[in-house]
Amino acid sequence: MKRATRGALTGADSSLIQVPGRALAWLIASFAVLLAPQWDRLPVWLLVACVVLAGWRWLAQTGRLRLPGRWLRSGLMLTLVAVYVATVQGRFSVDTAASFFVLAVGLKWLETRSNRDFYVLFFILTYLATVNFLFRQGIFWTLLNLAGVVFLLIGLQVANAPSAPGAIRAGWKRLGMMLLKTLPVVVLLFVFFPRMAPLWSVPLVSGEARTGISDAMTPGDISSLAQSSERAFRASFGGEIPPPRLRYWRGLILDSFDGETWSQRQPEPFRRPGRVANDGGIGTLANDEYDVLLEPTDQRWAFALDDSVAVSDNVYLNEDQLFRFRRPADSAVRYRLAFESGAGGQRTQNPAPGPLGRADRYRYLQLPSSGNPRARVLADELAAAAPSAEVLISGLLRRFREQEYYYTLRPPAMPDNGIDDLLFDSRRGFCAHYAGAMTFVLRAAGIPARVVVGYQGGETGAGGDYLIVRQYDAHAWVEAWLPDRGWVRFDPTAAIAPSRIESGLREAVAGEGSFLENNWASPQKYGDMALVQWASLQVDRLNYQWQRWVVGYQGQSQMDLMSRLPGGFGLRELGYLTAGLIGVALLVAGLLAAWQHRGPVGRDPWMAAVGRWHRLCERAGVPVRQGETPDQLALRLERARPDVASSAQAFARLVNNHYYGPPAGPEAAGDLTRMKRLLVTLRRQLNRQPTQTEVTGADNRA
Amino acid sequence: MLKAVTAYWQNWVDRRVPRDDTRVFGQKNIFILPSAAGVVFGLLLLVMLLTGINYQNSLIYLLTFLLGTVFVAAMHQTHRNLTGLQITLVKAGEGFAGDAIPFVFRASAPNHDALAITLSHDQTRVDQQHVLAGKPLDMQVLVPSRARGYLVPTRIRVETRFPFGLLVAWSWLRPASAGLVYPRPIAAPEVGSSVVDDGEVDETRETEGQDHADLRPWRQGDMSQRVLWKRFARTGDMVIADWEGEQGSPHWLDYDAFSGVDRELRLSYLTSLVIARANGNAAFGLRLPGQTIEPDNGQLHVQRCLRALATCGLERPREATVAAYGSRTGEPAAAVAQPGESV
Repeated sequence: MKRATRGALTGADSSLIQVPGRALAWLIASFAVLLAPQWDRLPVWLLVACVVLAGWRWLAQTGRLRLPGRWLRSGLMLTLVAVYVATVQGRFSVDTAASFFVLAVGLKWLETRSNRDFYVLFFILTYLATVNFLFRQGIFWTLLNLAGVVFLLIGLQVANAPSAPGAIRAGWKRLGMMLLKTLPVVVLLFVFFPRMAPLWSVPLVSGEARTGISDAMTPGDISSLAQSSERAFRASFGGEIPPPRLRYWRGLILDSFDGETWSQRQPEPFRRPGRVANDGGIGTLANDEYDVLLEPTDQRWAFALDDSVAVSDNVYLNEDQLFRFRRPADSAVRYRLAFESGAGGQRTQNPAPGPLGRADRYRYLQLPSSGNPRARVLADELAAAAPSAEVLISGLLRRFREQEYYYTLRPPAMPDNGIDDLLFDSRRGFCAHYAGAMTFVLRAAGIPARVVVGYQGGETGAGGDYLIVRQYDAHAWVEAWLPDRGWVRFDPTAAIAPSRIESGLREAVAGEGSFLENNWASPQKYGDMALVQWASLQVDRLNYQWQRWVVGYQGQSQMDLMSRLPGGFGLRELGYLTAGLIGVALLVAGLLAAWQHRGPVGRDPWMAAVGRWHRLCERAGVPVRQGETPDQLALRLERARPDVASSAQAFARLVNNHYYGPPAGPEAAGDLTRMKRLLVTLRRQLNRQPTQTEVTGADNRA
Repeated sequence: MLKAVTAYWQNWVDRRVPRDDTRVFGQKNIFILPSAAGVVFGLLLLVMLLTGINYQNSLIYLLTFLLGTVFVAAMHQTHRNLTGLQITLVKAGEGFAGDAIPFVFRASAPNHDALAITLSHDQTRVDQQHVLAGKPLDMQVLVPSRARGYLVPTRIRVETRFPFGLLVAWSWLRPASAGLVYPRPIAAPEVGSSVVDDGEVDETRETEGQDHADLRPWRQGDMSQRVLWKRFARTGDMVIADWEGEQGSPHWLDYDAFSGVDRELRLSYLTSLVIARANGNAAFGLRLPGQTIEPDNGQLHVQRCLRALATCGLERPREATVAAYGSRTGEPAAAVAQPGESV
């Protein structure tokens, strides 16, 4: 790259800058585009620094500013790295790595002087596009990212022909044609290239907190979650979509209460992230199967309906009958489950529950030693009145249903003894409050109980064939142990606000107007505006299909597709197939090129015209001699056929002009046409019956 | 070993690219390899593929394949950029030894544009040029010369990296026609021509033109008449006077006048004399071994003399005798159609 290309520059130290300005402009545009997908992950100071550094480089290009010298540059670098270290504070995650990468790109701008630097910048920006795909896989982000890459390629074209005429330089058309021609090969490679398991384990857990449920529930957490319309997951069903009242997506169990917060007593056992393919697509869904495309949570929780068994390899069932991933869901994950008892998932109880072990009994009856005395009294009263656990629970639910309890997203502050306050005084709460309170009362009455956190409900997507579950569908409910039925689900919210279960949060809080009250930008907020709703659902469907079929095209889906091909393809065969494919593509391209360019000599129209002229001469009885100039040949033709003298002379003059004259200017543009016209005239003249010229023709040959 | 390989390679290339004033680039003579940036790009693709595999990311696979095929397509484009380009030597330059001799080539692209073409010879290179379809373009390459005689550039490299600079396609021009290198002029000691009557140089001019004379120390080959003997008697230094006025006379410049001087030096002396005569627009004749140019003046005459000096005693370089690689016999029509200068 040491070969310099010229750039028209006027800057103070412009002599050092070799990169053509237009090429640089494309790279800067690409940087802007590629930075966009990172905007919410990067610290603000870094974004500002990137803009300033790239802007500085551009001003230097136009000559309005100097590029910093070595000292200033080193100082800048040290300062920015120091700021980076200060903000990162030793946390290492993919996020911090990505921002360091972006910082490096930003600093590189000030060093981009030579063509070599230009290529370095091209390479790191290309890799930035790659990094972007780790975090953003939606179809629009993908298109944006690809646009950035196209800008990069155009920048390269401009850098390699900076002095070419404008339209040719950028070469939109040329690049477009190139991409169009390569598209089939890209698609074939995408489909057939064998998808291997990861070569080494690389968790992509980011340090940033994600929106979503967490493993500890203080009343109020879920109601803040209810302000988010971010997507949690989408689910497709092989059979009918279950009715809303059965859409309880279990995520995790909270069994420990400290008087304020429900949490998991012991954290889930740590497991090394498995080297497994993170995908769960295996062909069409059977009637009793459903598949879930979960947005990244950085957690291992896989949400599932009751009565499910794992179908795909990337999830397994743990001791608490909850599904867990083999590696944290650091990017969108698809997994597949099936209803154990057939389509519909109607069953809500275990057929033959074993007795609850002592440890478990202790675990699910745990309560803080003091606090909420009135709730404890209520439990005692209920227990005294009820002959069995089931009667007790239905009594409690009846209390919730018949007394004045309100379901609200704006619960009052509940200081100490929150459960007492909720049950007897304010009587206003959200699902988490009621679930916590009910579990407390059941435990106080001696019934093993636990809080289950997950999602409930979901909106039907465009086309009606899948469910979209959003963060505001987050829900908490209760499971209680009944000796003959095992763990049974009870939902106090369903007793208080049946519309929450049947129609979703929007309907349930329609009266108080608190649905997404702080989230003005969300299209879901405007659910009553049909057009907005329709458009948002269509976009979601497009993205869903993209995620399922393109983003989610991984090892298993590939194997499934291949297994439908005759002959049964394995990974090895796929490898051969891909190699063969590449070979054939290269061969075809090569042959095509060879065929296009065969005999380049004959393709010069001037040469072809001269060849025709030679054949005409031969036919007229004037054999062409080696090393003869066009004039000599014309002279001999004239002698043989005086009637074509003017045409022959004109023709010879044109040949001489073209090959031996000064470079053709614009006035010579029509020469080729003139030559062709002359050839036609010559043929016509020569075809006319010669009169008395035959003698001279023979004479000429001597 | 390496030498043998290099020699074999050179020989192979020379067969593939025979000496010819016109070269049409095609598959037989275009070479293409990834540039340094192309190699790094390949490594980058590998890293991207690894990233895609490890993070199980389909879109990174997609991007990798996209850029991979772009690379292959770029290979075709870079190759095609040179294909069909025709470069003809239109003027093999002439100049003095030590100067860079200009060779003018005309490039034409009949079918499609050939963009970002550079020509280079050793250290010299021509800036990027764009040969648009149907618009022939002249390019001048400066070929450094060392000794007088015929100058046939060994190889002039024609190169393009368009469109992305990831690949470099190149070929060589090996013109058959030679440029001419005149001897480097070296100020000659003044001698009388052996053809000229000695009486014409009269003693009186010696004193008359003394103030117009260039005085310089004697050196070997100077004629004894030129020595200022009076000064020698006075100081003991042998000093030679060169008179300007002398150059106006229609003298003969004679090879044999500098007896005992090396041939190349003699030719250099003669060259400087020819230039001096030409500047004064004087008539003169030139006598070289086996060749005599009658006295005359004017641009053409001077050129003729210089050419004679350049080629004195040298054989014209042999025509390329090796048949073009893969060329078929019996294509006289094509041979006639070749517009190259037949030498």
